[in-house]
Amino acid sequence: MRRLAVMEAICAVKRLTAVGCLLASMLISVLWSAAAVAQNLTVADVEKIVSAAAQEASARGMPATITVVDRVGNSLAVFQMNGAPARVSVTSNRGIVAGNGLEKIEEIFAAFFAAANSPSGRLSAIAKAITGAYLSSGGNAFTTRTASQIIQQHFNPGEFYSPSGPLFGVQFTQLPCSDLSVRQATNATITGLVSATAGPKRSPLGLSADAGGLPLYKDGVPVGGIGVEADGIYTLDAAVNNYDRDVDEIIALAGQTGYTPPRDILANRIFVEGKSLRYTDVSASSLTTNPAAAPAFATISGGVLGSLADVTGYYVASSGILAGQTFGSVESGIAPASVVSPGVYDFVNGTVFVLTDGTSTARFPPIDSLNPTTAGGGLTSAEVTQIVGSALNIAFASRAQIRRPLNSFVQVTVSVVDTDGNILAIARTPDGPLFGTDTSLQKARTAGFFSSATAGAYLQSYDSPLGPVVGQNALGVRLEDFLDNVRAFVGAGALSDGIAFSDRSGGNLSRPFYPDGIDFVANGPFSKPFSVWSPFNTGLQLDTLVDNIAMNILYADGLGGTDTNATCSFFPTTTSSGNFKTRIANGFQIFPGSVPIYRGSQLVGGIGVSGDGIDQDDMVSFLGLHNAGLALGTGIGNAPAGIRADNLAPGGARLRYVNCPFRPFLGSRTQNVCNGK
Amino acid sequence: MYAMVNSAINKISTFVPASILVVGLVIGLALPAKAGKELINLDAMAGEGVLVPVAATRLIPGQDAPTPYMPPSAIDPTAVPPPSPSLPREFIPIPDRWGLIEAVGVHDNWLDPYNQNTLKGDRPLFGDDWFLNLSVISDTVFEARRLPTGISPQASRRAGSNDLFGKGEQYFIVENLIINAALIKGDTTYKPPDWEIRFTPVISINYADVEEVRVLKADPREGTTRSGFHVGLQDAFVDKHLRNVSSRYDFESIRIGIQPFSTDFRGFLFQDNQLGVRLFGNRFNNIFQYNVAWFRRLEKDTNSGLNDVTEDLRDDDIFLGNLYVQDFPVRGFVSQVTVVHNRNREDDEFFFNDNEFLERPASFGDERGHDYDVTYLGFNGDGHFGRINLTVSTYYAIGNDTHNQVNGSFEGEESDIRAYFAAVEPSVDFDWIRLRGSFLYASGDSDPFDNNEEGFDAIFENPQFAGGDTSYWIRQGIPFVGGGGVNLTQRNGVLPSLRTSKEHGQSNFNNPGLVLFGGGADFDILPELRFSMNVNKLYFEDTSVLEALRNQGDIDTDIGWDLSGAFIYRPFQSQNVIFRLSGAVLVAGDGFKELYTTAGDDGSTKDLYYSVLANLILAY
Repeated sequence: MRRLAVMEAICAVKRLTAVGCLLASMLISVLWSAAAVAQNLTVADVEKIVSAAAQEASARGMPATITVVDRVGNSLAVFQMNGAPARVSVTSNRGIVAGNGLEKIEEIFAAFFAAANSPSGRLSAIAKAITGAYLSSGGNAFTTRTASQIIQQHFNPGEFYSPSGPLFGVQFTQLPCSDLSVRQATNATITGLVSATAGPKRSPLGLSADAGGLPLYKDGVPVGGIGVEADGIYTLDAAVNNYDRDVDEIIALAGQTGYTPPRDILANRIFVEGKSLRYTDVSASSLTTNPAAAPAFATISGGVLGSLADVTGYYVASSGILAGQTFGSVESGIAPASVVSPGVYDFVNGTVFVLTDGTSTARFPPIDSLNPTTAGGGLTSAEVTQIVGSALNIAFASRAQIRRPLNSFVQVTVSVVDTDGNILAIARTPDGPLFGTDTSLQKARTAGFFSSATAGAYLQSYDSPLGPVVGQNALGVRLEDFLDNVRAFVGAGALSDGIAFSDRSGGNLSRPFYPDGIDFVANGPFSKPFSVWSPFNTGLQLDTLVDNIAMNILYADGLGGTDTNATCSFFPTTTSSGNFKTRIANGFQIFPGSVPIYRGSQLVGGIGVSGDGIDQDDMVSFLGLHNAGLALGTGIGNAPAGIRADNLAPGGARLRYVNCPFRPFLGSRTQNVCNGK
Repeated sequence: MYAMVNSAINKISTFVPASILVVGLVIGLALPAKAGKELINLDAMAGEGVLVPVAATRLIPGQDAPTPYMPPSAIDPTAVPPPSPSLPREFIPIPDRWGLIEAVGVHDNWLDPYNQNTLKGDRPLFGDDWFLNLSVISDTVFEARRLPTGISPQASRRAGSNDLFGKGEQYFIVENLIINAALIKGDTTYKPPDWEIRFTPVISINYADVEEVRVLKADPREGTTRSGFHVGLQDAFVDKHLRNVSSRYDFESIRIGIQPFSTDFRGFLFQDNQLGVRLFGNRFNNIFQYNVAWFRRLEKDTNSGLNDVTEDLRDDDIFLGNLYVQDFPVRGFVSQVTVVHNRNREDDEFFFNDNEFLERPASFGDERGHDYDVTYLGFNGDGHFGRINLTVSTYYAIGNDTHNQVNGSFEGEESDIRAYFAAVEPSVDFDWIRLRGSFLYASGDSDPFDNNEEGFDAIFENPQFAGGDTSYWIRQGIPFVGGGGVNLTQRNGVLPSLRTSKEHGQSNFNNPGLVLFGGGADFDILPELRFSMNVNKLYFEDTSVLEALRNQGDIDTDIGWDLSGAFIYRPFQSQNVIFRLSGAVLVAGDGFKELYTTAGDDGSTKDLYYSVLANLILAY
């Protein structure tokens, strides 16, 4: 905002010609972007944010738990006010009873831990803060309210007969069992699987749809998020045609004051399918206190208004308030490839960023496929590099759907996996929203998995230690039921006949209505009947790893047990991963943005893309792979058209494979660019 | 007679706007406020010239007292003397003048609309002066077109549909049977009728066939065809002649019920058959005509566009007043000033149409409901300056919107509506050729995020302008694929209003506006055959709103060239049988290409948009 203001001021000087104005603008842009990279939350910033929020909460008589995280999800403060709700009730407010996913899961915990049930308000506040930080970027400022709008059975929620939200299922990303998302340093050694301590952190409840999670900016640069839990209800906004007065959101707004995003990138200026996204339902004018006049943190902490609180595996109160990392530094875990992997992505027409382990070592440089091996047709590291690079080239050339100003290019993370879900490479554009890191990997794995002829058999091998019976999860859901459902619906050969499933195809089958969004019809085979379906109970996606989430909740709330492994679900681990990981080691994803990778007709892996509009994600994966295939000439490419899932029309509605966006490329009028490929 | 046919046709706005009946425009639209009256006079003329009873006095317009009747003096000695009352009668007495004609051998034939026919108001149905005028019109339309068509995110029709834009070929068949019955009381030979009761049901059967699913119905399983049947009520009113206000039969009437109305000469703002109360009349030998009216809008049937009286009334009112001045500023030109107020209170409902698509609030922006009050101040004119025919229409829209769906405003933040519109169409006749120029300007919104809504939108447009429904741009409703559940333009509408639909949607003043330059010609090749052609160049006035809604920068204003032509064939040189064949192409400009394409068969794209229309009207 400030940059625009400066440019407007310069261009307003009457004697300056249009050319002069343009040159000045360009100069300022260059200077600005150089200056814009280096921002982080200092301890003083975090104190100010917490104090302002606490002041508002106190004034309203609504004691809250207030969390601040940095852009890569490090918890910088977890401040629990005296009298803040100890736990939250998880509910979609549709009367769905306990035993259905996370709905009312506190009642299940209460049966075992009567005195102190769970999940706590601290976990809720962390999940909200991470959501605000992870969904936002330099081009878009999203909140937990935005998340709520785009994960429900209709987009917009309440609009009957319209398709589901574009990010349907994104709430179950950044999960505590993820093999990618890093754990807090003090807790990094639980299983030894995640050795890195830097990079995007996990969230105890995934991403949150409950109002009260906002992003934080300094001088237009995203630096983190704030999450507030005061009302004790962890829910979502089922109706977007009204204006809620959510106390969590108002308190978070108080904390955010002084760290607000530029007005031009607020969610409500960003349109998806012509619909603007929700930022908040109230403005800062609803505040009852003056955030600038908030008392110093030292005067409210230590039990005065509240105290910093431990969250095992996420935050250590005795460490005090921490400073946030500077995004883009090697310490933050995400840095330019030119620094940590020089030369690898030089052929890409843009600045590539990669994950680091906190030093100058790249976490996921391109490697050879483990299964199949390169001798067995698997991808070579050179092929992986080309696929990632070609995909990023599409991103750099394409029109972003969720970024402003207009004419911004697509910013995403690209992940490539082999058929066991082993990570072969992850790379990204500089400013892609952080959630796309974990999500792109989920997508790549999901496409590779469902396209595999052994997927069905693998689903049959689920065995959770918490399940009452082999094959069931802790809630008593039999995973194999989903396989039976899909075989009854699509055909007896489903998940064993080698049909190529993109995430869009699998997503079609994962909605509470089939066809998607058509009310009063039965659910898709990977979903639940609408009577019990909610964003807290999505079907196969959640049921495979609800046990991992439950273990982590109990552990993080200090109620006992051990933390979840850093691999999701309780399927057999793969030998190619050294028997560490399942094939879906950070969970399934059920919204679009991935395709399986083939060599000729042999499935060799998957590519997943996340961070922009879902049509853009689709195109970057599909066209990126296509172009890589052309560049490589080694038989690598998309699935043969004849085996793609869009050859199937179960229940009278044909599955989609990909849906590439309108006017996809910047500076070009070309349309329908994926046609015929 | 013709005016009634024309106004009846107009009602089927979705399918057959009045421009089909080119000749009819002159009568039907030049003086819309009194079309019905004129009709009655014309009809009743059938009885004129039969016998004029000798009266003692004769009323002469413009004179206060009746002038005594003075028999002509027998100054011509060669003249045949008048018959003497005492002479033997040469024929039997007759009861009335209607029976006289029977006596001389002209018999009523209900099949023949041209000669004496009780069903056509030529003689009373009952009593002395209760006439029935019955029209039955069959209106058959076949339409083929190519339209930008989105592929549904839930399901595609074909494998290999990898992009947003699908195949755009579509066709429609519509059969409307219009039954128009008017019961009229009054000696209508040379004065307005005392009562008129009119009732016009329309039976509509329609069929649509498209190439992609989720175009016709929200559920993609419903496939690519749709049949519809609806009986709409397009007229149901009582018209009471209140009084004559001068010896020239200047009058005042009140009309209550579903009735046709147009706010201007060419249907730019509101032309519809709606439920209302209208007080109208004229003064000073018809120099001034006026209307004062209140309409509360009926819901429409989604697929026929006809009135649906089984639905609740919309919470939308139109209050208007206008004044027509004949021969002002020059003889042969009619000027009109008007004030139209549209009050909409539909912020608290979710209304889905018959195909399960959301209509109110519009599925775009933040999708919150809103109310609005808009006042349109208009000047309109129609007529000729010497040899130059001229139609002019200008409106200024001013009002407020309780919630701006696009700018992301918080609760209680209102937006101002400030928009304007101007259209001019001069033409000149050379023997059997008429040359025509068209210009139209509708303001667009320049900043979608401020608290001003500056895109002009109408209430219910049906423009007969720049080629009318022959033109691709005006005829077709183009969906705003990728930009929300709205249409860029509405069927039979010229404004790019980004409404959900003309029939169900609220007005939307967050739109890009339009600039149109056009030229055209009509060729009366034969008495039976006319060829009309039009070339229009179209631009958006400001694409800021489109850019925001699509998150797509640098959308060009150039919509393209709209080329159209129409043959109108009237084999009997009457309005009873009319066949029209028209075709149009839209050659997409840069702006249109940046918004749309359609898929071809082989992975190609097609950017030439066409519309072909065949229309047969049979009228009784």
